[in-house]
Amino acid sequence: MPLHWSTHQLTEFFAAVSASADADAAVRVAVPRALEALDADAGAVVLEGETGVRGLTGLPGQLRAEQLSAAVAGAPTIDLPLLGEVNSAYAALGSGIGGGLVVARLDDEFSAEERQMLHGMAQVLGLALRNLRTLATERALREEGARRQALLETLLAVQRSISRREPLQSVLDAITDGASGLLGQVPVALVLCDPAEAGSLIVASRAHWPEPAATASVVLGPAADAIAAAQTVRRRSPSGDRMTATPVHAGGLVAGSLVAAGLGDADSSHVMTAFSQQISIALTDARAVEAMREAYRDPLTGLPNRKLFAERLDQSLTGERCHTAVILFIDLDRFKAVNDTLGHNAGDDLLAAVSERIRGQLRPPDVAARLGGDEFAVLMVDVSIEDARAVAERIVARAAEPFSIAGRVVHIGASVGIAAGAAGTVAATEILGNADIAMYRAKRTGSGRVVVYTADMHAGETTRLRLRADLESALPAGELQLTVQPLARLSGGALEGVEVAARWRHPSGVVTHAELAELAAEAGLIGEVGRWVLRETLACLHDWRRLRPGLTAGVSVCAQQIADERFVSDVAAALENRNLPGSALVLQATEAALTADPVRAASTLRLLRNSGVRLAVAGFGTGPSSLSLLRQFPVDQVRIDRSFVSGMTRSGADLAVVRAIVGAGRALDLEIVADGVQDAEQAEALVRMGCHLGQGNHLYGPMEPRLFTGLLRQGRALPRLTDPLTA
Amino acid sequence: MGVGHSASADAATAGRTAAAQAVAGRDPGLLIVFSSTGYDFEHLLDGVRGEAGADTAIIGCTTTGGIATGPGGTDAGVVVTALGGTGLEVRTAVGRDVSARPQEAGADAAAGVAGLTREHRAGLLLCDGLAGVQHEVVRGAYSVVSAVVPLVGGCAGDDMTFRRTHQFIGDRHGVEVLTDAVVGLGLGSDARIGVGIAHGWQKQGEPMIVTRSDRGRLYELDGAPALDVYLERLRADRSLAADGEAFQNASFAKPLGLSRRTGEDIRTAHAADLEDGSLVFIADVPQGALVWEMTTDEDALITAGAESCRQAIDALGGAGAAGLLVFDCGVRKARLGPAGVAQEIAEMEQAIAGAPMAGFYTYGEVARTRGARGMHYLTVVTLAVA
Repeated sequence: MPLHWSTHQLTEFFAAVSASADADAAVRVAVPRALEALDADAGAVVLEGETGVRGLTGLPGQLRAEQLSAAVAGAPTIDLPLLGEVNSAYAALGSGIGGGLVVARLDDEFSAEERQMLHGMAQVLGLALRNLRTLATERALREEGARRQALLETLLAVQRSISRREPLQSVLDAITDGASGLLGQVPVALVLCDPAEAGSLIVASRAHWPEPAATASVVLGPAADAIAAAQTVRRRSPSGDRMTATPVHAGGLVAGSLVAAGLGDADSSHVMTAFSQQISIALTDARAVEAMREAYRDPLTGLPNRKLFAERLDQSLTGERCHTAVILFIDLDRFKAVNDTLGHNAGDDLLAAVSERIRGQLRPPDVAARLGGDEFAVLMVDVSIEDARAVAERIVARAAEPFSIAGRVVHIGASVGIAAGAAGTVAATEILGNADIAMYRAKRTGSGRVVVYTADMHAGETTRLRLRADLESALPAGELQLTVQPLARLSGGALEGVEVAARWRHPSGVVTHAELAELAAEAGLIGEVGRWVLRETLACLHDWRRLRPGLTAGVSVCAQQIADERFVSDVAAALENRNLPGSALVLQATEAALTADPVRAASTLRLLRNSGVRLAVAGFGTGPSSLSLLRQFPVDQVRIDRSFVSGMTRSGADLAVVRAIVGAGRALDLEIVADGVQDAEQAEALVRMGCHLGQGNHLYGPMEPRLFTGLLRQGRALPRLTDPLTA
Repeated sequence: MGVGHSASADAATAGRTAAAQAVAGRDPGLLIVFSSTGYDFEHLLDGVRGEAGADTAIIGCTTTGGIATGPGGTDAGVVVTALGGTGLEVRTAVGRDVSARPQEAGADAAAGVAGLTREHRAGLLLCDGLAGVQHEVVRGAYSVVSAVVPLVGGCAGDDMTFRRTHQFIGDRHGVEVLTDAVVGLGLGSDARIGVGIAHGWQKQGEPMIVTRSDRGRLYELDGAPALDVYLERLRADRSLAADGEAFQNASFAKPLGLSRRTGEDIRTAHAADLEDGSLVFIADVPQGALVWEMTTDEDALITAGAESCRQAIDALGGAGAAGLLVFDCGVRKARLGPAGVAQEIAEMEQAIAGAPMAGFYTYGEVARTRGARGMHYLTVVTLAVA
């Protein structure tokens, strides 16, 4: 925040003028100080009903009030004796004192900011004159002295928060706290105009407000009136409270309003008006308009940020005109991969492009916001869930269309959670939280989904939280178990290896491998769980290879594991511990896991490759850049996703994909595994194409390690009952 | 304009010698006396009066060193300036009880300006430099002077002892020696009058807020004892503040600047109060003000003198200067040391190309040309008469 001379001069002015013993002294102090602060050459005070002027400075002799009437009427220049044509500025005294302060300058025109400061000075002088007129008794004077001191200290506190370059919010909070303190701890709110959206108001700070969430419904009306009238207004709130609102300026323009509840007397209103003048200067100094934009807008997309969005949602939920608020919580799929692959600038461009597409799907009253990272939200008022869902689906569809970023075509997607709440029944945080939960549910069920929040999701989320908490003790409690599913040569059915996964036998039910991986990642325990799986797998493999030499075991790894600095040494140590060669282990990673941090993943995997460990790409064909992975990473095996395999005998498109993958794999001399082989027809087709290996219930179902050991022991019985070619 | 200087230890001799040199057989309308504090002023002024004509007005004050063209000009002693001749008019006035009624005293002292009849006019003020309310005096003076009339002047010094300063006003028949007063001169001329203002300082570092002060006493900066905050900026501890001279040396090198529209108003702490942790200034440091630590280098300080002279002469619109009056800050003198001062004066003489120059080292400089601000510190103010 740049510092400016004006606030400080105004505080000096305030300190000097408010200490004056009588009206003449106050004027004598005020005029020269105003001139000095503005580098003006001449000035005077004109009072209603007086033909002369007071405190005339910079002009010898007498001046009649009428000679300044043009300035009082707002003329930018006036003619003065001796000085000729000069630039002029006028500000009314306020506080019920008719009249104002006139200043004149020979060289430069008065800027909007300078007029603003003059306004502040005139208000201070008016307040001082009013006090001097009305406070006849000594006690009243003493009390006034104490109040003046309090006002001064408050102003100094605000000024310090500005000069220390505190964040805008701290400055605004100092303002409302200070105003509330001055006015006897009444509730005070500072409402500011949203610089990016005309007519839109934000409750920027509040102090001593009994129900913070309901502030907007009470203060916005009076604030809007004060802003429109550009003067202090008094109103009744719906509950009958007296509301006083006074305009606040920044850079010479009305920038908002200070609103207080329950002010009893006119004196307090005057104090508030004078205080708001000081604050106006402070806000101008704090470059509040720019800072407001920064504080409430996302600089990348220009959309409201989380803070402003919450404020808007609050307003909708407490306003009179709104019945239902519906939130769309949008999270981009695969954004991180783009950000990491193409760089942050490309990521920024992508976010801006996404925000445009989201905006394109909205009605004028809808509010879109970027909540942070790749999260967006939309607030819709008084729409049905069905309509909201239609908007969400359009957003998902638009997000799935290719983007052209940094000269490349980029594919991402979006998942949307929807939650609704009736005005007056639900808090902003709750409805936003619900939409968040629905979004997570959408994400978990796959990319590009729209899920509407239901109450049971909350229970589901609670369960999830509990599971997350329990997971830490699951390992020592021995609740994690391995499951294995054999991998067979499609042609002949010979057992080639096993794929090992973990599941969790939680007291409340079994948690599957996929859920466990997700929970562990959320709980930050993925490293620990991954090491356990690796250790246990290799312990079993060590035994199995005695029965079936050359057997390999596949283990899934996620992005966080690959990114873990200890990953390479963990794998090496686990192999060495069981005296196994690297080639006994196949690490299976999805495209997303590999491309989260592709450079690092490539170097980690190359290190492992050097020790013989093999790499399989799981879910091959589902990602946007599958083929390029084969060039980028030391891949040994590709696993055709089960979704293509299951459709290949019915859909020509799926068949074509499978054929293409097999063809590419064979051309690159990679081992090809078909996942989820369900029947003989699929197996037959795969063999014909030249696919080497398969996994699925048609071949072997998942089983406990113990059972698999038993199968191996049976030896000859192993090649499965079924010959895929003849079954 | 004529200038005379004497460093004689004998007051009467010094006064007479300097005045005689300045008058040099002419009949000036005004003699201005700038004197060191060591003299018996009665004898000194008797010496000056002896050289004055029947209608010659006499004003002056004590200093922290005189300035006069010619060798030895800045030594302790007496400098007398003679002003007069056709096309020039002078009107003197005095304001008394400055500390009790600063604005009124300022207005009184500037009263001479009102009676001037010549086209070009200026007001000159010589104010008690220890009254602590000099800025109010200037405000008072300005309230009775038109915005088109510049104000210049300096605050009387006492050779950096900060005890008592004196102001002189009178004529051939008698000169009053005053304290707590401001002597004023209205100067009218057919030819142009120019004013120069320069200081060579700039702000540095983070600003501070004056959270508690009373006139020239600064109690708190940013809510903490001002002395401690200031010492921290000086990278010193309280032992420095205990040694008055060492503290002054340090504080003269690091004044504070009050934030203003067109720059900074400079203030120098000349003492520290260890008991209440306050700083003592000879000028007001208003509560609520934003202040910066100011910095400069030797070259910028020295050059400010010549810069001020050039400004004043430029304002004459091409006419040559008949002479210059100089009001140069005493703290600048202390800071520059004898060699720096010699260089400053040499550069100024070069800038004014042989015109006579006289003045003194002050406790504050008055200069108002545009806007209402007129009180300055650590500044060189010059007045050139064509």
